[in-house]
Amino acid sequence: MDLTGLKWLQQQQMVSPEFLQIVGSDGREELRRVESYLGNNIYDTIDGCISRTSSFQMEPEKNNEENRTVALLNKRKPEGKTETRDQKKKKIKAEDETESSMKGKSNMSNTETSSETQKQDYIHVRARRGEATDRHSLAERARREKISKKMKCLQDIVPGCNKVTGKAGMLDEIINYVQSLQQQVEFLSMKLSFLNPELEFHINELSMMPDLRSFPLHQQGSLDYSVISSNQTTSPGAKIESSSSWDIHSQCVYNNLRTDSVSNFFSLK
Amino acid sequence: MERQTINKNKRVFSAEPTKLSPSEVFTRKYTSHLVPALKKLNMDKNSPQINQLTVKHEVDMALALSAQEFAWSRFLLEKLSSSNNPTTTISSSSNGTRIPERSCKEDEDGEIEEKLRELQKLLPGGEEMNVEEMLIEIGNYIKCLELQTSALKSIVQDTT
Repeated sequence: MDLTGLKWLQQQQMVSPEFLQIVGSDGREELRRVESYLGNNIYDTIDGCISRTSSFQMEPEKNNEENRTVALLNKRKPEGKTETRDQKKKKIKAEDETESSMKGKSNMSNTETSSETQKQDYIHVRARRGEATDRHSLAERARREKISKKMKCLQDIVPGCNKVTGKAGMLDEIINYVQSLQQQVEFLSMKLSFLNPELEFHINELSMMPDLRSFPLHQQGSLDYSVISSNQTTSPGAKIESSSSWDIHSQCVYNNLRTDSVSNFFSLK
Repeated sequence: MERQTINKNKRVFSAEPTKLSPSEVFTRKYTSHLVPALKKLNMDKNSPQINQLTVKHEVDMALALSAQEFAWSRFLLEKLSSSNNPTTTISSSSNGTRIPERSCKEDEDGEIEEKLRELQKLLPGGEEMNVEEMLIEIGNYIKCLELQTSALKSIVQDTT
């Protein structure tokens, strides 16, 4: 065990000498026991400082470098007092550890020392001040954090989610949006079923329908329509001007479709 | 701008292969599935009126076939192929059994859980996934639904 780490601990005067004795031994079992001891008793008061050290000590091999980083980090951060409930830094390392097992023992590590703990399989969650640190609630919290992270991604996709705060409101918005999209699809397909008997599609000539969100009015070229085959992803005959994106091109095609008379493409029965 | 209108009828070629964004790939696949299916429907049933449900069926089938990289499309395909009378993907808001809330949660969390479950019902196959997967799948399901609606709109508009 690295002595400087232990000395730091001593300086903090937050740990009893017994702890140091236990830590002095190399057995990992002891370490785990210590951590659970810490977790249940001391953690709330120390509120994160021990967590830094406990994570550090879980990997006794890498000592010198990390010790310095830990020491530096600890200097940067003031001790437990400012780690109030506001400090909700919970970088869950789900990305690094895809097979993370929710073992409560390891859940006290610092998020700052993530570089040291990358070899671990555990999800690292910092418990907030005053919150329970037993396995189940930590696992629950980790799960909830994952969910809220994903919901933030959804916020970008669903329009109008930015104004609403809170999970429930956002979920409401998302549900409404999905339902409205599904209703739109149903309505459009109903419309299509009414129109369908009158139409015959020329597959070869019908090009890809573009994304209709924006219609730039400029056209950068036209295509030989008969060459476009809708079944191929890269139609050999359809080449696009290098400067234009496919979006613009396909909208150009779309515009051409609209400007040409409909009967060219759709023969009416 | 003017030059472009002059070049309107010229063929333009490029040596570079076309790079398609995922939304374009999807739209392309979707129309390529839907249009022949509609044509086939049209030709097969000449005398009877084309059933609205069969059109919906084809619409959903095209959606499922165009988005095969996603889990929900697999569930949608199963649902479509298993039932002859296609079930609509729209679920009413008060359907299904309610899973009892966990006793240790606060009310707000319980509400959120309920809403997540409702969202699961909307997504085809959502109930078989866990919540985290479901949230990812919902994202791309929404995207595909949007593309589907725009494709349908353009098809409908072109024919009116």
